[in-house]
Amino acid sequence: MKIKKIMSKRAQEEMIGFGLIIIIVAVILLVFLSVSLNKSKKEVLGTNEVNSFIQSFLSYTTSCAEYQDSYYSIQKLIIECNNYESDCLDGRKTCDVLNSTLKGIVDESWPVGENTPIIGYELSINSEQTELISFTKGNITNNYKGSVQEFSSRGMSIIIDFTAYY
Amino acid sequence: MVNKKAQMKIQQTAFMLLAITIFFVLVGLFVLIFKIGSMQDTAEILERDNAMSLVSKLANSPEFACGSAFGTQKVDCIDADKVMALKQNSAIYENFWGVSNIEILKIYPASEENIECNSFTYPNCNIIQIKEGELAGYSVSNFVSLCRKESFEGSPYNKCELAKLIVSYESIQ
Repeated sequence: MKIKKIMSKRAQEEMIGFGLIIIIVAVILLVFLSVSLNKSKKEVLGTNEVNSFIQSFLSYTTSCAEYQDSYYSIQKLIIECNNYESDCLDGRKTCDVLNSTLKGIVDESWPVGENTPIIGYELSINSEQTELISFTKGNITNNYKGSVQEFSSRGMSIIIDFTAYY
Repeated sequence: MVNKKAQMKIQQTAFMLLAITIFFVLVGLFVLIFKIGSMQDTAEILERDNAMSLVSKLANSPEFACGSAFGTQKVDCIDADKVMALKQNSAIYENFWGVSNIEILKIYPASEENIECNSFTYPNCNIIQIKEGELAGYSVSNFVSLCRKESFEGSPYNKCELAKLIVSYESIQ
């Protein structure tokens, strides 16, 4: 009778031990799973396209004329807007032309809407402490393509940051 | 009695070992499936980036690139005048690029209707079809600046617009 009682107690202990092992392994597995899922949620889809986009729009020739046969590129317009040096030949402000041209370019290149995979975008152009341009459209998600590019003019660093959200 | 007890003990240990082994094999399988899944995602991203860099390579090839014709050397810049000349001799380049379709689509300034560029419509057009082939495979596109020389009262100036270079491949290699 006593032996049977001891055997039963030992079996109970072993079952508790086995159960504990399973619980520990399950907890480790859950932690691993949650870490992996969090990592895969925030996915950078590649920056090649955005890099090319920024490079390409910087070369775009705007409608803002410097002289009669010479028009500012976006890159030059950013510098002019930053330095407040001159207006366009037709009297428009360089910053206004920069703002409207960039808005048109981004809207046409990264259309946000129900029929497109793009959910939103953010564009900012900063010169050291000053924010020259900043606009956002749509929503921010964890899947994005983004790139930051920098160029300098007369010792001033200008940073262009564009992110498209999917 | 002792013999039977020992047999029971051995049986118990064997079952225990079997259960633990099956449990860890299942865990291992689960982890493996998860890892393979994320590896496939990484491979897809790499493949897409590779295809994209092929498009960039094409945009920066001597047949397309602006070189220093529009001031300083530019990356992802296509000389539209050069491309129009190339379009007229596209038969010579039939198997040169190893792609089935190459076209340049002007994005900004946007136009309401699609007008294909030829010697009559250029530069008031928005699609330059350089190589026309079957669209059976998959397409990759990248942003480029499309530059040309314009003239104002007889003096030339540079005009760059925003476009997309679209390349279609027959199959993934």
